[in-house]
Amino acid sequence: MNTAEHEGTDLKRLLHQGQRLLTPIPAGLDWLTPLRERGAMGVAGMPLPSRKDETWRYTSLAFLDQVEYKPLIEGPFEALQLDDIDELLLTGHTGDRLVFVNGYLSPELCVLGGGSGVVLSALAGGLGEVPAVLRARLGGIAEQQHPLSALNTALMSDGALIHVPRGVASQKPIEILHISVGTEDTGICHPRHLIVLEEDAHAEIIERYCSLGDAVYFNNVSIEVSLGAGSDLVHSRSQEESRNAQHLSDLQVRLGERSRYRLVLAALGGAWSRSDVRVTFEGEGAAAELDGLMLAGDKQLNDVHLDIRHEVPSCSSRETFKGILDGKGRVVFDGRILVAQDAQKTDAQLSNDNLMLSRSAEVDTKPQLEIFADDVKCSHGTTVGELDGDMLFYLRSRGIPQAQATQMLCQGFAQEVLDRLPSEALRARAGKVLAERLDQTAA
Amino acid sequence: MNLSIKNLKAEVEGRAILKGLDLQVGPGEVHAIMGPNGSGKSTLAHVLAGRAGYTVSAGEVTMDGEDLLGLEPEQRAALGVFLAFQYPVELPGVNNTHFLKEALNAQRKARGERELDSVAFLKLIREKLAMVSMQPELLKRPVNAGFSGGEKKRNEILQMALLEPKLAILDETDSGLDIDALKTVSDGVNALRSPDRSVILVTHYQRLLDYIEPDFVHVLADGRIVRSGDKSLAKELEKKGYGWLTGKDEAA
Repeated sequence: MNTAEHEGTDLKRLLHQGQRLLTPIPAGLDWLTPLRERGAMGVAGMPLPSRKDETWRYTSLAFLDQVEYKPLIEGPFEALQLDDIDELLLTGHTGDRLVFVNGYLSPELCVLGGGSGVVLSALAGGLGEVPAVLRARLGGIAEQQHPLSALNTALMSDGALIHVPRGVASQKPIEILHISVGTEDTGICHPRHLIVLEEDAHAEIIERYCSLGDAVYFNNVSIEVSLGAGSDLVHSRSQEESRNAQHLSDLQVRLGERSRYRLVLAALGGAWSRSDVRVTFEGEGAAAELDGLMLAGDKQLNDVHLDIRHEVPSCSSRETFKGILDGKGRVVFDGRILVAQDAQKTDAQLSNDNLMLSRSAEVDTKPQLEIFADDVKCSHGTTVGELDGDMLFYLRSRGIPQAQATQMLCQGFAQEVLDRLPSEALRARAGKVLAERLDQTAA
Repeated sequence: MNLSIKNLKAEVEGRAILKGLDLQVGPGEVHAIMGPNGSGKSTLAHVLAGRAGYTVSAGEVTMDGEDLLGLEPEQRAALGVFLAFQYPVELPGVNNTHFLKEALNAQRKARGERELDSVAFLKLIREKLAMVSMQPELLKRPVNAGFSGGEKKRNEILQMALLEPKLAILDETDSGLDIDALKTVSDGVNALRSPDRSVILVTHYQRLLDYIEPDFVHVLADGRIVRSGDKSLAKELEKKGYGWLTGKDEAA
């Protein structure tokens, strides 16, 4: 360690450093330039959210002042072998797998079956030229919400671009595995994914964020999802980052007529983790089911912000999120459901239940229903509770020691979310990660 | 197993419930503890199992000479104490098979015995299931969650069959059961009667004792045992109610 003072992170300086790394623009990637410029304007034009902003009231970005993040460059981890990441792989997963290391596609680690009719592409061209249909959609689904999401657009380096054509059903889950490895500088990277399902297409996508070792870094992720009429996407996200990492993700989904979207989010890692999920109903008769688990061990912050926009009639959404907190852990949950004036016959149910294992932990939970239509069925509920003494005694009376009984009850509380994960391989993995993290938490 | 309870006094939130209770239970004996509501029957059961929230202000409880009151609930369980709950607790998300296996292995580990692997455990639990006529599907569900009253009680007896306690305390096991369920549960308990296993049956009604025949019957009133006898005492209680022993006018 040198004695130089920490400079902190200035987004504009970071932008310029990143832009220098991205020039000269490689042949075939010039199509990204207008989009990146739009992002750069956003970084320049938007102030960093502060705790005066309602949606950032409980979630501080102060860590940006303490660490100078540097853009991660491609290359140093080309040598990563399959053996090195063995412990991170899903046992029994047989579908396609796209692997990104520190934000860049690592073709040697990918498994690409092909032949299913699904188009798998990578933003930086690592899987050949990006098809026009994906180029046209990138950046057109998500709105820039804050300068960090703009920074993602300005500096997006690589990511998975997936196109499921009309009527095509992918037979096996497609995994996007993001692995972070520690670097000398504290790195920031900007993964950018795009998932497009055309009319009546079906797909299952698993998106995972993992670390090798106790890497310190900032993942600033953006995912855009577009669902055509009658399409069906099952989307699992597992955030298993190191306890030193920062993870910010901005997921924005647009649902066409009669489409169906299922999301299961397991946010288990990171020192600081925030997931913004915006779901916009654009066609009638669509349905979304969102389940989430937030784990906040000692000094961990885990934030989920939902913004569910019922813009059109006859759509349904169900949001079920659970938090587990220990030590000085913090969970922030903000679940906003907007029902526009025209969105009659909306059915929206939101719940957030939290389990506090420690009196020093803190939950800030805020369900918000904003209803402008008059013929709707909407409900919300939140609970914050401690472990049930009767349950604990029941287990202990059977000979199970207190620490193990606590762990079993936490697992049980989480299980109702994990059981929603469609992939057995991921269910097992998330269960294992949860058990390890709870163990560390209890220790 | 010899259980010795001497002058046991216990209170809940400053209110005295047990007021000097004496009881000796020898190996293989079945003791019924009867008494009106509020007499302290369930308190006795919970104090023996080590539930928090009860303050023992006097007396001693030893099991084969070991001071039970100084032990954590899980330590008592490993020693062979088992409480079948009046209201078995639902554990959402905790798989029943997993729970049963963890319980058995935790006890075996505490006693320095080898833990069972999954195969050996499944073989064992299938034998025990047959004993209490329980549907195997209930093993795949979360513990007691959505179980009927009878299924919950059967699950208690299944745990008893699996854990093979030296002292089984059955707290109002008959409550909420119809005759068929009562008979199945009683058959399970009877099958588990052995010279190595003592049983304390806590019950308000004589009905259960038609199915599980006790060696001794004790009447608990106002925190003390006021009368002890053989099973004929239970018959007498059925006819006369508790009033003649407690001095209060209450129907049995």
